[in-house]
Amino acid sequence: MALPGLALVEQSLITGFLAGSLYGLLALGLSLSWGLLKLVNIGHFAMALLSAYLTWYFGTELGIPAWWAGAIIVPVFFVYGIALHWVFVRFRVSEMSSMLITFALAIIVESLIQTIWTADFRRYTTELANQSFLIGGLYIPKLNLLACAVAALLAIGTWAWLRYTYVGKALRACAEDTPIASAFGINHKTLTYLLSGICAAYAGIAGVFIALIGTLAPNEIWTWIGVVFAVVIIGRLGNPIGALLGGILIGVCEALTQSAVNPAWAPLVSFSVLILLLLVKPKWI
Amino acid sequence: MDLTGNRFANYAGLAVLGAALIAVPALDLPAFYIAFFYVLFHWISLATSWAILSGFAGYWSFGHAAFFGTGVYTTATFAAKLGVPFLLTIPIAALFAAALGAGVGFVVFRLQRLRGELFALITISVTFVLATIVSNTPIDGGLGVYLIAVKVPEVFGSPTSTFYLLGLLLAAISVWTAWKISRSKLGLGLFAIHDDEDVAEAKGVPTFRYKILAFAISSGIAGAVGSVYALYVSYVTVGDTFDVTVIMYPVVMTIFGGARHWLGPAFGAVVVETALYTAASGPDASIGRAVVALVLILVVLLLPSGVMPSIVRLWQSVFPLRRETPRAVAPPAMVPAKAQAAGSAAAPAALNGTVLACTDVRKSFGGVQALRGVSLDVKRGEILGLVGPNGSGKSTLINMITGHYPLDQGTIVFDGAPIQHLSAHRIAELGIARSYQIPRPFNRLTVRANVALAGMFGAGDLHNDTEIYGQAQHWMEFAGIAGRANDFPPQLNLHERKFLELARALAARPRVLCLDEVLSGLNHTEIDAALHLIRNIREGGTSIVFVEHLMRAVVELSDRVAVLNEGELIAVGTPQETMRDPHVVRVYLGEPHAA
Amino acid sequence: MTSFGTWTRRGLFVAAVAAIGFMAADAEAQSGKPIVIGQTLALTGPLGQTGMVHKIVGEIFVDDLNKAGGLLGRPVEWKLYDDESKGSVARTQYERLITVDKVDLIIGPYATEGILAAMGVAQRYKKVFIQNTLGIPHLATYQGQFSALMIGAEPQNSFPRLVFKAYADSGFTPKSVAVVTSKFASAQFNSKGMEALAKERGMAVTYLEYDFGTRDFGAIAARVKDANPDFIWTGVLGVEGHQILDAYGKLDYKPKAHLYLYPAPSLAQVPGAEGGISQTSLEDQRPYTDDPTVKHFSEGFHEKAVKANLPYPFIDSQAGNSYAGWQILIAAVKATNSLDDAKLIEWLDKSEVQTVMGKRDFKGKFHTNSRDATQLRQIQNGKWVAVYPKERTLPETKFIAQR
Repeated sequence: MALPGLALVEQSLITGFLAGSLYGLLALGLSLSWGLLKLVNIGHFAMALLSAYLTWYFGTELGIPAWWAGAIIVPVFFVYGIALHWVFVRFRVSEMSSMLITFALAIIVESLIQTIWTADFRRYTTELANQSFLIGGLYIPKLNLLACAVAALLAIGTWAWLRYTYVGKALRACAEDTPIASAFGINHKTLTYLLSGICAAYAGIAGVFIALIGTLAPNEIWTWIGVVFAVVIIGRLGNPIGALLGGILIGVCEALTQSAVNPAWAPLVSFSVLILLLLVKPKWI
Repeated sequence: MDLTGNRFANYAGLAVLGAALIAVPALDLPAFYIAFFYVLFHWISLATSWAILSGFAGYWSFGHAAFFGTGVYTTATFAAKLGVPFLLTIPIAALFAAALGAGVGFVVFRLQRLRGELFALITISVTFVLATIVSNTPIDGGLGVYLIAVKVPEVFGSPTSTFYLLGLLLAAISVWTAWKISRSKLGLGLFAIHDDEDVAEAKGVPTFRYKILAFAISSGIAGAVGSVYALYVSYVTVGDTFDVTVIMYPVVMTIFGGARHWLGPAFGAVVVETALYTAASGPDASIGRAVVALVLILVVLLLPSGVMPSIVRLWQSVFPLRRETPRAVAPPAMVPAKAQAAGSAAAPAALNGTVLACTDVRKSFGGVQALRGVSLDVKRGEILGLVGPNGSGKSTLINMITGHYPLDQGTIVFDGAPIQHLSAHRIAELGIARSYQIPRPFNRLTVRANVALAGMFGAGDLHNDTEIYGQAQHWMEFAGIAGRANDFPPQLNLHERKFLELARALAARPRVLCLDEVLSGLNHTEIDAALHLIRNIREGGTSIVFVEHLMRAVVELSDRVAVLNEGELIAVGTPQETMRDPHVVRVYLGEPHAA
Repeated sequence: MTSFGTWTRRGLFVAAVAAIGFMAADAEAQSGKPIVIGQTLALTGPLGQTGMVHKIVGEIFVDDLNKAGGLLGRPVEWKLYDDESKGSVARTQYERLITVDKVDLIIGPYATEGILAAMGVAQRYKKVFIQNTLGIPHLATYQGQFSALMIGAEPQNSFPRLVFKAYADSGFTPKSVAVVTSKFASAQFNSKGMEALAKERGMAVTYLEYDFGTRDFGAIAARVKDANPDFIWTGVLGVEGHQILDAYGKLDYKPKAHLYLYPAPSLAQVPGAEGGISQTSLEDQRPYTDDPTVKHFSEGFHEKAVKANLPYPFIDSQAGNSYAGWQILIAAVKATNSLDDAKLIEWLDKSEVQTVMGKRDFKGKFHTNSRDATQLRQIQNGKWVAVYPKERTLPETKFIAQR
């Protein structure tokens, strides 16, 4: 095994960082709903993929560019998030049941996608697709960078919102102790609907970037699920910045492994790192 | 299995069912149905084994595929590459998988913080690590392992029948194991862990041991299932073995069927697989799957704890079980200390007067020093009041005594033997119990089960159901909550829940009982009743440490009072002495009132 | 519970029961006078995209067959189940086809896992088993198995040799090779063959494997660019080739010479794919469509594929192999005038069959074709063009060995 040269390592770091920020973007909505609403939304991936397909469809068949597609998709998904939460509240769904329900929803969405757009691969080719910034001999793909920027923005913004605004703090209070929070006059219901809508909206945003950066197939839902679950958990539930950093950590581990040894070992390295982190638990976890 | 309440009928029914199932391959059915039964048995075993840890104890594992895969590749390697006879590889596979489960559990369960989703992440990670290793080493290497050359013993004339019978055997083992566990001490312990692990540990449940045991059993069964599967499918690949289906279906089937019921996962497995093979296997498979998924959602919305509990309720409304209230059995008188902790030279003097001796106990949390060297003795048979302002370290001291946290320095000696390094459940077994200020009952166990569990795992020497439930009945009557025996804690009011706390603590036959603000939230009449109860407890031979803010109760009840302030013991003596101690007065009422 | 709540619960209950009833009603089996041919395909799951192609081919073939009077004077019915891209499901469903649906004949499923699982069933019931996608021929140990593929018995040796020969004929001898392969079994198998051959010929080899579910190829692309090989062999399945080319594009890297093993056909439209080669034995172009059967097949496929919304609605080797499989089975039945599997096996063992992929025998080991008929195609101007060997292509086509 020849050690990779510095340029290769640096390029892999960039690649991994950007790929990881996409994991983080995808993880964001799931982390919030799991941490603050105590609902495990496996359907999150399916909704992101649906958003990706819609973005591709709007762009390829209807000529609507991704940004406008996003502007349409995100509010619709927000409403879907509220509707979904209404069902959870109405039937007093527990954390465990939410897993089954959202898993079944994922299957339904997968079937829907396959029925409408077939099981075949779809790719969204745009002008920016293969363009990169060239800085100091390193290539930084434009669309990936944009996804990273959006991920960072949303992560930091959500963190700040949760930490500094009344609504955000109220949400965290509700998550910790609902009856007490209600006693303080916090409108638990409205807040949780709001949050559910936001999580679904985040899925929609993630989907737009998946369409721009990746390839689409109905089965893709299951390719992401393992890694993103891991990212959500290691970043700690309900912690938006943790989700982003967790994603980047895994992305970088994968990329560095792929650059140095047989790339097929990548999952071993990233998940071993996770295991070690959990066992050793440095303060920042 | 209390289906009809009649033991003979139960066993006869089982025997008939068993014989019928074994005879199925001998019938002249198309081989597909035999194969389909195998598929059902496969999922029954996987789902039920998953539920043994994850459904009963609530430790969600997303790594069942790791143990299944261990079984698959053990058989693939031993049978296809090393020529070991197939049937022999099955127990080997089960052993390897169980060892992996026990090993992971041994490392992970030590760490209290690795619960809930962190445990889930460990299991996901172990799966990915294992899959990657298998995929990149000669175990598989990426080309898969082809087992067509391995001989499958033919019973009833075809390999399909063999798979049927093996599947039936494993399914029967899984379901029987789940049933047995759910009615055993292990099962009750697991259910308690699910509801509140820390309290379970404090009540004497050996949580570490039980979790590893459950995990090992669960993994071992999954390994055996994988072993048989390897030969059924005859060509194994990493992608197929560690598929998301293997990870998620047992979860879905268990939730659907009922996670805390021994038959729930099996029921879920049968329903889901049958639905998929019926509705989702033709050319319109994709749509069929969506329909099945929709039906699952509808059912779970209607029946949130799964289908099985509803079926049980239905069955019981048709065949009601006559449930007799167990007769109360008075527990024997308090006996002196049992086996001492190893290696202690018990000082004879300690055995006579002092039952519990804390010497120079120190504890800090991060930067906060909660206890700064507290030395306090509890005399045998006394009621010791423990008072002090908020933050003075009272609860911390209780937590040290009961072993909830390890102390930083100092010793705690109980009946002559040091206990400061023992785990909480061991301390409970030795005879120290506590009640919680905010009651922490096991919410999904009945009141009766709550009390019985404390008795089972406590210091009393209980051998059979009559003793356990009999004494539980006694303590419930003692605490005045016998009328609520079959209800669940969320249905009780605060007063009843507090007395449930007492009943639980007493059922453990403690020689030292720590009561943590048991009177808070009670009205005047209830307080009197509680004080009466506490005196009765002392009459029974239990020494009591009694943390309380209500001064009149402290003064009325205590033989001695110890006052803590900012982690230090500032006074100890009779209630009159300590209440007039100037330092104590200054601490409680401020400067001007001293003197 | 409010009355609204009660009605909601009742409504949901009724909906659930109705759905179950609907599913059960839909599941009735059929039987009767027609000749029934049974198969499973990957209609759902990770291999669903290629399962679709086989499904369309099956529909066309059986349709045409019935229009032409059926088989042995009887109509032909095709019984199809979904195997979810899983071997265990394939195995169970083939046993269903044989013992419950009591089909007369079976045809193999798509992809290695399903094929091997189903082959075991075929062996037990002694059914003739024709398969059209087993990329690892030596695993086919059943005597009644016949391969519709034209890759010969040792594609891992013969195909890499063909590739190097094609390059040599154009005056290009790579000194360094990068082998980048998916760990999908047949892809890895053939890629290892290329690795071995390259090492044997003294070339500098960079060998990289990636997981079937790899999401990001940036680091791998960077590594290949860093090695800067003369020739890149990419053992892809499906759209991975597209993803790798995208990754090259982002690094502003243009491979000199590159090959893609089992790509989704839309690879041709990816920018940067120009010059990429792959194997083929059939394309929707001349000289293949000079054969009227092929032309008819191509038209029928195109029509159905467009209706089914396929991104690449044209025939190529995948569809061709599938069609050939049907042709082989039907040819055997017609020639022996029987549905007896033993007779069919005996006949096929010693016969030649004309298929859309060419005329072929089963005299190669593991009942493959004795003459290696694999050809090369190349992406030129956004289209796949058959380019090698020269005898099998149009005179005007050129093979551009390297950029």
